[in-house]
Amino acid sequence: MSPFDLLLQQFVNGLSLGAMYALLALGFTIVYGIMELINFSHFNVFMIGSFVAMGVLSLFGLSGQTVLLHGFPLVGVLVVALVVTMVACGMLGVGIERLALRPLRGVQGPMAMITTIGVSYVLSNAVMLTMGANTKNFPNPIPSVALHIGTAQITVFQFIIWALSAVLMGGLYLFVQRSKLGKAMRATAQDPDAALMMGVDVNRVIMTAFFLGSALAGAAGFIFGLYYNFTNFGIGFTAGLRAFTAAVLGGIGNIPGAMIGGLLIGLIEAMAGQYIGAKWADVIIFSLLVLVLVCRPAGLLGRLAPTKS
Amino acid sequence: MDTTTAPPDAKPGHENTNALHTVQAPPAKWQWLTAPFDKPAVRTGAIALLAVLAVLFPVITGDQANIDAAGNAAAYAALALGLNIVVGFCGLLDLGYAAFFAIGAYAYGILTSWQITPDWSGFWVPFAALGLVHKVVQNDHALVHFTVSFWLMLPISGVISAFFGILFGAPTLRLRGDYLAIVTLGFGEIVPIVARNWTGLTNGAAGLNGIASPTVFSYKFGIDATPYYYVGIGVVAFLIFASTRLRESRIGRAWMAIRDDEIAAGAMGINLTRFKLLAFGLGAAFAGMAGTFYVAKLQTATPDMFGFPVSIMILVMVVLGGLGSVWGVVLGAVLLQLLQSWFLGDLTQWVNAFGDAIHNNYLSSIDLTQASELIFGIILVLMMLYRREGLIPANRRQRALSFEQQHATVQTHVRAEDVTLSQIGGEGYIHAPGAVPMLEINDLTVRFGGLVALNKVNITVPAGSVVAVIGPNGSGKSTLFNTITGLVRAGEGSILFQGNEILGLRSDQILKTGIARTFQNIRLFTTMTVAENIMVGLHARLRAGPFSAVFRSPKKLTEEAAGRDWVLEIAKIFGNRLMPRLGQTVVGLSYANRRRVEISRALASKPKLLLLDEPTAGMNTSESLELAEQIKGLHALGLTVLIIEHKLDVVTRIADKVIVLDHGEKLTEGLPEEVRRNEQVLEAYLGRGAAAHA
Repeated sequence: MSPFDLLLQQFVNGLSLGAMYALLALGFTIVYGIMELINFSHFNVFMIGSFVAMGVLSLFGLSGQTVLLHGFPLVGVLVVALVVTMVACGMLGVGIERLALRPLRGVQGPMAMITTIGVSYVLSNAVMLTMGANTKNFPNPIPSVALHIGTAQITVFQFIIWALSAVLMGGLYLFVQRSKLGKAMRATAQDPDAALMMGVDVNRVIMTAFFLGSALAGAAGFIFGLYYNFTNFGIGFTAGLRAFTAAVLGGIGNIPGAMIGGLLIGLIEAMAGQYIGAKWADVIIFSLLVLVLVCRPAGLLGRLAPTKS
Repeated sequence: MDTTTAPPDAKPGHENTNALHTVQAPPAKWQWLTAPFDKPAVRTGAIALLAVLAVLFPVITGDQANIDAAGNAAAYAALALGLNIVVGFCGLLDLGYAAFFAIGAYAYGILTSWQITPDWSGFWVPFAALGLVHKVVQNDHALVHFTVSFWLMLPISGVISAFFGILFGAPTLRLRGDYLAIVTLGFGEIVPIVARNWTGLTNGAAGLNGIASPTVFSYKFGIDATPYYYVGIGVVAFLIFASTRLRESRIGRAWMAIRDDEIAAGAMGINLTRFKLLAFGLGAAFAGMAGTFYVAKLQTATPDMFGFPVSIMILVMVVLGGLGSVWGVVLGAVLLQLLQSWFLGDLTQWVNAFGDAIHNNYLSSIDLTQASELIFGIILVLMMLYRREGLIPANRRQRALSFEQQHATVQTHVRAEDVTLSQIGGEGYIHAPGAVPMLEINDLTVRFGGLVALNKVNITVPAGSVVAVIGPNGSGKSTLFNTITGLVRAGEGSILFQGNEILGLRSDQILKTGIARTFQNIRLFTTMTVAENIMVGLHARLRAGPFSAVFRSPKKLTEEAAGRDWVLEIAKIFGNRLMPRLGQTVVGLSYANRRRVEISRALASKPKLLLLDEPTAGMNTSESLELAEQIKGLHALGLTVLIIEHKLDVVTRIADKVIVLDHGEKLTEGLPEEVRRNEQVLEAYLGRGAAAHA
């Protein structure tokens, strides 16, 4: 592979990974924007998303590396799996908010954040105890058709990731900007008390934020499984932390920022893996996280909502 | 974060930024259990009993596995005590604490094993003479073998970890709570990854091997668990001692003040950066020592021993025991260690037996020792939801005053002559014609974005005077105070205090020069008692450092005793309003009493210039006039006062000069009577029509 093809290939890979991180980062950013809460349980909602998707695919007889379906049946199965995963994860997110976080609403300090760490542990260990600690093979039902540019290739799956991410992110953006509930979300992010007094149902807004963020995490978990062809109870932490870095990089609370941050993190991971060594990728990403927070806490695009304290 | 964009206390009703500790006192139903421990004799007895049990433990159990588990518990208790200083005392959430544990562990491991063996040269001769290295000949090749003593490495590892703590903390500690948590999490991830990948230094994932065990004279600890256990409880006992002493000292008060309210802490002369770094560095040092002890005991070190789960486990210990509670976090560490090493194993056997009995394959083969993280998670969530103050809360419930005490007759005839203070006043503060003014503000301009909050304001406060600042809401009065005291740092122009420029200094530096203030929206340290709050005001006038706080030098003891006398002297100004409440936390005080505590706190710093921001807000007429008399009394002692006040009867009673601000500009200044009749002032306050009628 020529150096240029290599670069191109890593760029393509990075954009695919980045799309996944962006979807995951959006969940952090939506919840943070509204509640100023770093939601560590998001890590494992993503992980559970990959398990739900795997379960749905296996219901349709899809497992292992064989391509059994083609054409519309395959598309149909994938869409069903995606919708079920997103709804299930969305409900999980709403449940977490309702049971563990709402009682802590109004309690100041990092109490709520510590709670989300606890919830995150419960989720990952519950999966470990019920599904086992070993790594599972994730089905790989998408035909490996690829577009070749020189020796670099873009698979059909990568096109699917890009299209799916673009649709979900565009939909989210339109929802937040255009819908009434989206306007209520933006108002709550700016000033929850004022929003409440203007008749915004803040509980509903927060539940919507958790539902949307968690549903996107579920989609990201599905993509993770299809991309790497495995899943286990521990995938949430590393991917989640990278996605969180993405959200901070773009400016946490800022929706376009999370998208750009996600793409950047994906590119950094792919390039670092190629040119520096995959084992150092996390060191680079976390060093970047530290640097961004120290030098420019508002992130590349800055926060949209003012910081409350 | 950025003080140039918004005045720090611009929002009315703005609450404390870090309320990690504003949790409810424990329910009264536990009082029967906790009340006896309020007596010093009972407490000393309990500690002595605990110490005897700890010393006899190996003899009592006799089982190596139990002693070994207790040794591990000691290592984790040391870690929990260290994290408690950072999170519990100072309120800095650290999610990567295990990184410092790793640094201490690898420091010892590398300097006592065969991991690094440089070629022998003359350079090493002096080190060999000290016994730090040995010359080893392998295949006719002379190599250096590091053999630093465990006892030497224990403090050195502490210093090395503290160094990394400060190095890492310096740029990051100014971040807000949850950002700091994320940065520390990132750091906590980087360290084990480096340990895994830098195989030359650490032997990577395989781990360091052949770490030397400690020796005492010629006795080698080897693999016997008992000597490690005794070293462990020795270390923990020292760290408990140090934590308790620190908590009760000037240092501990400064940390808790930062935790409760950073802005007020800075305004009371606490150097935020220095004290946060001190907490971070000391916490790291505790972790470094724990790391050295732990790897000496295990005789190996792998990167997995120091990952995120370990940081979280230590955090769970601290949260379970009680944030800021020294004995609580030790209890938390011991309980979680018991959970892991005994309870889960037993529980697994019971569940498996039950599964066998009912022929359930899942239950009979489940291994609950794998579930320790699940249980950590459940503990975290349940503690946060139902008992945020932990098993042994740091702040015990204060007994409320009796009905008689609460309704005891307050002084009705407060006279300015009754106010006495031994250490404020003197001729130096009395205004002499032609002397340098106490405060001279020239052309001060402050802009927030496009808004000009103050526009070329000139104010002179003569020494020994009382100057009042009045003006409608939004006229820039509080901005003026915030700029004088260094909370707003966007000022242009000059502010001379006794002839020296103070514009651009930090708020703690400004307090040290002799300017103390109160806040419009009271900023007290909510978890601390009235007396402790006032003691914090004395912070800048005390000297005790961490070393003398722990070992209580005679100088430190006299300093503290004098400080307590001073607090009493100040509280006496307000008669029996504060005196019976000195031991209560300030959350239980009335609004007016909180204002009095704030004024006392400012006075404790022995200021030359006192800035009072609406001190009578929320007080009724008689209380306001009482306070006015007290301010007059302070003035008679020689204190210069700059006061923002809306109540004109208070202003006319005490002020020598009144300055009127409107829309960030000085409208006029003069004697109270003149200002009262000034048309522009009436217009600004009451509107044009009203001014015409007046």
